[in-house]
Amino acid sequence: MNIIVCVKQVQDPETPASQFRVDEAAKKVIPPPGIPPTVNQYDANAIEAAVQLKEQHGGRITVISLGKDTARDAIKQALSMGCDAGLLIDDPAFEDADAYQTANVLAAAIKSVGDYDLILCGRQASDWDQAQVPQGLAELLGIPSVTPVAGIEVTGTTLRVKRLIEDGYEVLEVPMPALLAVSNEANQPRYPTLKGIMAAARAKVDVKSAADLGVNAVGRKVQLLRLYVPKVESQIEWITGETPEEQAANLARRLREERVI
Amino acid sequence: MDFSFPEEIQLLRRSVRDYVQGRLRPLEEQIEREDRIPDEVIREMAGLGFFGFPFPEQYGGIGAGELGYCVALEELGATSSAITNLIGAHTGICAMSIYLAGSHEQKQQWLVPLAKGERIGSFGLTEPEAGSDAASIRTTAKRDGDVWILNGQKQWITNAPIAGTFVIYAANDRERGARGGITAFVVPRETPGLSVGKPDEKMGLRGSYTAPVYLDDCRVPATNVLGQVGSGFITAMTALDGGRVSLAAGAVGMAQHMLDLSVQHAKSRKQFGVPIASFQAIQWMLADMETEIQVARYMVYQVAAKIDRGERVSHEAAVIKLFASEMANRAVDKAVQIHGGQAYMKGSPIERAYRDARILRIYEGTSEVQRLLIAEHLLR
Repeated sequence: MNIIVCVKQVQDPETPASQFRVDEAAKKVIPPPGIPPTVNQYDANAIEAAVQLKEQHGGRITVISLGKDTARDAIKQALSMGCDAGLLIDDPAFEDADAYQTANVLAAAIKSVGDYDLILCGRQASDWDQAQVPQGLAELLGIPSVTPVAGIEVTGTTLRVKRLIEDGYEVLEVPMPALLAVSNEANQPRYPTLKGIMAAARAKVDVKSAADLGVNAVGRKVQLLRLYVPKVESQIEWITGETPEEQAANLARRLREERVI
Repeated sequence: MDFSFPEEIQLLRRSVRDYVQGRLRPLEEQIEREDRIPDEVIREMAGLGFFGFPFPEQYGGIGAGELGYCVALEELGATSSAITNLIGAHTGICAMSIYLAGSHEQKQQWLVPLAKGERIGSFGLTEPEAGSDAASIRTTAKRDGDVWILNGQKQWITNAPIAGTFVIYAANDRERGARGGITAFVVPRETPGLSVGKPDEKMGLRGSYTAPVYLDDCRVPATNVLGQVGSGFITAMTALDGGRVSLAAGAVGMAQHMLDLSVQHAKSRKQFGVPIASFQAIQWMLADMETEIQVARYMVYQVAAKIDRGERVSHEAAVIKLFASEMANRAVDKAVQIHGGQAYMKGSPIERAYRDARILRIYEGTSEVQRLLIAEHLLR
């Protein structure tokens, strides 16, 4: 079974919000120095799902990432968890790619890798949380996709997929090849073994540019108009009353005035 | 000269740090309260390769060398000292004795299961009457055909209550002592005559098991002798050289954690209407901590790299063990001062570190023994 996993390197979601700066003129987020980027957590779930499928059914897992040179670390983490090969698409032309452009590049990269049975992505990336790339990618490749996925079973050439819905999940049958966007409910990503880490460190990651992949340049579909930190203002109003009961009654009255209840 | 780390060491550091933050930090209070590391955590760490950092893959290790081992212990130094003690005693002195002095067959038999964490290792040198003066051990080894018979008592033996494999040092010739009179033996736990006493109650290091080990007509096959009969003292001292460097690495990690907590606290804690970080008295303590940590850290790396090049490091190991252990004590003391009353309360990671750090100046050679070794080197 040939599996392709798409991963994105993101700013560590544990970074305190207060440490971010926004350059409004350049419309860019300036991450704090000294906090290394990390693998998008949902992508780690996709990696884990791929490794589990490989353990059950055999096969080969190729990891693809579009990003800067630092994204090599994200690929190496996937290798250390049990993936087999890595491809980094590093091209300054795509530094600020939107979801459509990203899907377009990833589609070209996937075609360059060769045959595949399954493509796994994280359901969304924790930096912009747009959740657009997986479906865009499936559309460009002309294969079915399911998101968000909480469980995967393989039976012959068909996948049985648990898809999360509002108050539970539904089970879908999907023919392969297909693309699944994995959610955190699917699994708990493993800690890589230290031996795996040492091997991943020594492994070579292929690096290609857009030109190497023969990507047709496509324009942005999304224009970022303004990037800013919203000002949150809060005010405190003390609710008084002689007794706790009276305070509660006054609070309820006030909340009703504000149409909160 | 290039001082940057190879990529594998950088990735190793990142992974161990993730494991500390994600897995071990949330367990710190439990380890302290229950005075034990949960079995499943030890098993998980074994499966991930935490018990074989420095050893080559052919002997079940992960091939990170002494430098990789020290970087890992530095990261692990930021969590419960029980973890660095478990791994340090197992890897740095027990398994290392076998790696240094064992034959290929002995390494296959004994080192591989240790490096894979299938067995926990314990190093038995110290005795009630032989601490700093290790050459005066009274445990005896008498030959009887193909077997050696060990008799004596070992004290404060780290990991003894959970160990499966012991490296026991015994005197085959008390007259000759350090000069050919001490031999190292691999003694599996199940060997009749070996028993482990009640675990010690300690001031700190909760979760790290130490206990006396009794050897009562304990019959060990002659094939379990590590190296030559009589060469044990050199094996022990060489293992302890490396052990001191990795212990220093753990001390650096502990001091760095104290500094990180102190910086965080100094920026958030307000007194007189301003963060206490704005007071020069606090700033200077932070600056002194940072300075000493940096000095110790780079010396650890330098000595570890020397070990990986196969050089003897007895002198440097004494220097870094002395400096890093005393530095960590100063750092923890400053962290207590910066945190004030909060650090004096039970349950504070700083209160715990304050008790845990004190042993650094005592075990694996007291500060005084290190000074003795350093002076000996200077005056020889």
